[in-house]
Amino acid sequence: MINTYKIGVFDKEESFISSIRLLQEQKIEIYDVFTPYPVHEVFHLLKRKSKLPTAAYFFGLFGIIATLAFLYYTSVIDWPVVYGGKPFNSFPSFIVVTIILTIFTVTIASLAAFSMRSKLFPGRDNTIFDFRATDNMFVIVVVNDGTDKSADEKASGIMMKEGALEVIDKELENVKA
Amino acid sequence: MYNRKIRGPLIEGNRTLGQITADVIAPMEASPGTWWFIAFGISSLAAIFGFYAIYITVTKGIGTWGVNNSVGWGWEIINFVWWIGIGHAGTAFSIFLLILRQRWRTSINRAAEAMTVLAVMAAAILPALHMGRVWLAFYIFPYPNTRGPLWVNFNSPLFWDFIAITAYLLISASFWYLGTLPDFATIRDKTSSKVKKAVYGFFSLGWTGSSRQWIRFESLSFILGGIAAVLVVSVHSIVSTDFAVGIEPGWHTTLFPPYFVVGAIFSGFAMVMTLMVIIRKMYKFTNYITDNHMDAIARILIFISLIMGTAYATEIFVAWYSGNEYEMFTFFHNRITGDYTTQFWGMIICNALIPQLFWFRKIRRNWVGLLIVSLFINLGMWFERFNIVITSLTKDYLPSNWVAYKPTIIDIGVYVGTIGIFLCGVLLFIRYIPMMAISELKSVNSIGNKKED
Repeated sequence: MINTYKIGVFDKEESFISSIRLLQEQKIEIYDVFTPYPVHEVFHLLKRKSKLPTAAYFFGLFGIIATLAFLYYTSVIDWPVVYGGKPFNSFPSFIVVTIILTIFTVTIASLAAFSMRSKLFPGRDNTIFDFRATDNMFVIVVVNDGTDKSADEKASGIMMKEGALEVIDKELENVKA
Repeated sequence: MYNRKIRGPLIEGNRTLGQITADVIAPMEASPGTWWFIAFGISSLAAIFGFYAIYITVTKGIGTWGVNNSVGWGWEIINFVWWIGIGHAGTAFSIFLLILRQRWRTSINRAAEAMTVLAVMAAAILPALHMGRVWLAFYIFPYPNTRGPLWVNFNSPLFWDFIAITAYLLISASFWYLGTLPDFATIRDKTSSKVKKAVYGFFSLGWTGSSRQWIRFESLSFILGGIAAVLVVSVHSIVSTDFAVGIEPGWHTTLFPPYFVVGAIFSGFAMVMTLMVIIRKMYKFTNYITDNHMDAIARILIFISLIMGTAYATEIFVAWYSGNEYEMFTFFHNRITGDYTTQFWGMIICNALIPQLFWFRKIRRNWVGLLIVSLFINLGMWFERFNIVITSLTKDYLPSNWVAYKPTIIDIGVYVGTIGIFLCGVLLFIRYIPMMAISELKSVNSIGNKKED
């Protein structure tokens, strides 16, 4: 599907933020914004939230249960050996292994979740709307499906008025992001 | 905010975002300079010596080392603990300052984390060799095997140590790599070389800097930071239990875990300082790694040095207060006086006394002073491990067990080799990976620089 994207390029964080505000006031839908560093105001304005912490909690829970179950299975069920007169299920000395394997599970699983949700993996070529967004520019992308001419012009007007360096229309096919 | 008034600007010289990118990438674009090639040559020679020593160790066995029946742990364990200690600070630095929201970490965290990964890799070589038959090292993995299946001993600190270090290596490497994603993307979008575009493009995993990626990136950084902080503390505590569960005089003490963790952070911060002083000097990064940054590290070092001094005093006090004659002997006749006074007093002077020079502002602000003191700390921390390992083992409970310990050329070769491998890695790092986290520097650019602050 070919879509036209309206790309506003800003060199100042303040004018970039105020453009987002005005675009939202005019009910113009922002496709996404691209910045060289995380801008927290953007997260509030675009209502971006990450569920990773919740996911990480459950990864941790899984890690704890899986490790303890594994230790119990190996030390009590499969091949019980008495070490230094301790009981087979010597829980206190399992704590260290449990902590470390839990941390390990959380790390690997969170990285995998991050990679899947953000679509970041080796060889992935996500669409880059403007190459300067990873260097020194703040970029707003608005989708323009061609149905509403006035909204389209309004978006350009707002971004130019707020101090965009340029507003470019780009036709892109199969956008990956 | 309060941190602005205390610290001053985090980046000096009113740089724009574009200039920050250009400044950090510059050393990767230019030819590295003669000093780099000389340093790399010397480090490679050291690494080759190390590989030779490792070859001899593997083909002939650990009989080529200076270890004997009484002193079963020699230089390899000293150096293992030394490297693991150094490997601690990178992540400690980066993570503790991240979760404490100390934003001055931004210019230093990347190099500190690189140092961690390399130091832990260097450390991992040593216990693997110490197994004797290194090709059977996989026996330590708990997998269903044909020997029973007999599982490993999950109650043993040696096993805890193995999983802790493996996990630590993997986690610090992932944390470090995660941080490089936006910077690799910056290079991908900025470079004119096709090869670089392809390589950095591949490793940037398709990073675009969209708001969705950034929020997940930040939240993942805090998740990894939060849990790895636990790991940092636990890894060296576990290393210390390798000793503390042994009943050798001088080892069997509950002081060991905190003492080892603090010591590890101490030596690691010193190594971070050594590297940062050199990088800052060689690449003229004084706008980014300001005097205030070095000052802050120096202040942390004074504080940790005082803790170290207290720990040494506590050890000696407890040896006397317990009334245990073996402990008394180890501390008073085999460390403070006796055959190993050089190492003992070297440790006290380098770790507890010399860092006190940082009370003077002049020394905290002088790069030669910083470099010398940090090198002394690294030396002192080596002495500390020598003290712990060798003095307790050479003279234990039975005088019939008493022996002298001397390293062989192979021991020395393995040690020099790990230093060579570490330095080669550091040099390759400063050549091919941005030395400072570009995106994080940009996010703190305005702090302390705006007039209204």
